[in-house]
Amino acid sequence: MTAVASLSPAQLRAALAGPGLTLGTGRFTTRLHSPIASVADSIGLLYADYPLLDDTAFADFHLQLTRPLTHRRWLKPQVTLLYDGRSLFRPLPLDQAYPMFEWGLNWCVSSRANRYLIVHAAVVEKNGRAAILPAPPGSGKSTLCAALVGRGGWRLLSDELTMVRLDDGLLVPLPRPVSLKNGAIDVIRAYVPDATLSPPVTDTVKGTVAHMKAPGTSVARAGETALPGWVIFPRYQAGAELTAQPLARADTFMELAANCFNYSLLAAAGFEALAGVVESAPGWRFTYSVLDEALAFFDGLARS
Amino acid sequence: MSGWRIVSGQTLHHRCWDGMAVLYNDLSGATHQLSEQALALLLDLRDDLLSSDDLADPALADLLDNLRSLDLIEARMAPGIEPV
Repeated sequence: MTAVASLSPAQLRAALAGPGLTLGTGRFTTRLHSPIASVADSIGLLYADYPLLDDTAFADFHLQLTRPLTHRRWLKPQVTLLYDGRSLFRPLPLDQAYPMFEWGLNWCVSSRANRYLIVHAAVVEKNGRAAILPAPPGSGKSTLCAALVGRGGWRLLSDELTMVRLDDGLLVPLPRPVSLKNGAIDVIRAYVPDATLSPPVTDTVKGTVAHMKAPGTSVARAGETALPGWVIFPRYQAGAELTAQPLARADTFMELAANCFNYSLLAAAGFEALAGVVESAPGWRFTYSVLDEALAFFDGLARS
Repeated sequence: MSGWRIVSGQTLHHRCWDGMAVLYNDLSGATHQLSEQALALLLDLRDDLLSSDDLADPALADLLDNLRSLDLIEARMAPGIEPV
């Protein structure tokens, strides 16, 4: 297998600006075109371990990041994302080009991959069982996810999109860079000192964002599904004692359903898939403030 | 009126755990959380296991009202009476 790392920075920029780069990202293949240097640099930094596929390979998603040719482009340079050649999103400031790629790819999967039930949740695995972490923005979900995979020995399946295969209820990995926001960036820099992070981008709609490279072992195991083991609704609360309260399965079901992208679209198939998850994976409401304590709790689960 | 019946066309996908149930209404697309008793009553109505006398039991009034408010059941009219 050829990996993105086999390309020199100059080759990577040339490929992105020319025929495009065909990336294997878990179950999906993405063909990306972009002449923007910061996109090439971040792809080189964060996707070095990912399979580089032939230009003629079938691609699930075709994305282009380009600079719109407006008269204001010299004053306020912008970037726009094209999906299948069409612009579906508002342009963003040019320095947000790489985050826009990540957000756009999340949109592609969450709005197009309807062979899976997709939950807005991080998902990590150890000893064959996965912990699903659904939570709204600002709850500390991605910070916890980054700590679990960067230091706790858990395998990253995804930091944003839990994909439940409708046929058998198994969780399909989509290991991609972990999105960190605001204070979480420095927290993870300190807690996982050997983590590779993209340069922070300020003033996005989510505040300051940076992406942490997914562990190479998680990328290498992107073809290995996992069994749902636990559903844990995390919440970071400064100074709080660690608490973990078991949830009734019906409550877990309803909260999970509220965090799905396509539960309603999938109708009865979505209900059955979600019920399968809840039957295999007991729910917990989890509050933490200290990452060491949180990781110890998760290790206890994995050993149980 | 002579009783209650489930709104026709529903498949009643459901699960019941520890006294609480979840139910998918494939007509409305809504998912409901119900008590185990409410689900049991709904399934009995589906299977036509309850007489008019059973359904007139005041002890069932709240459960029936709850199921009706969720559009899972509807009044069964006596022959010759059309709903307004």
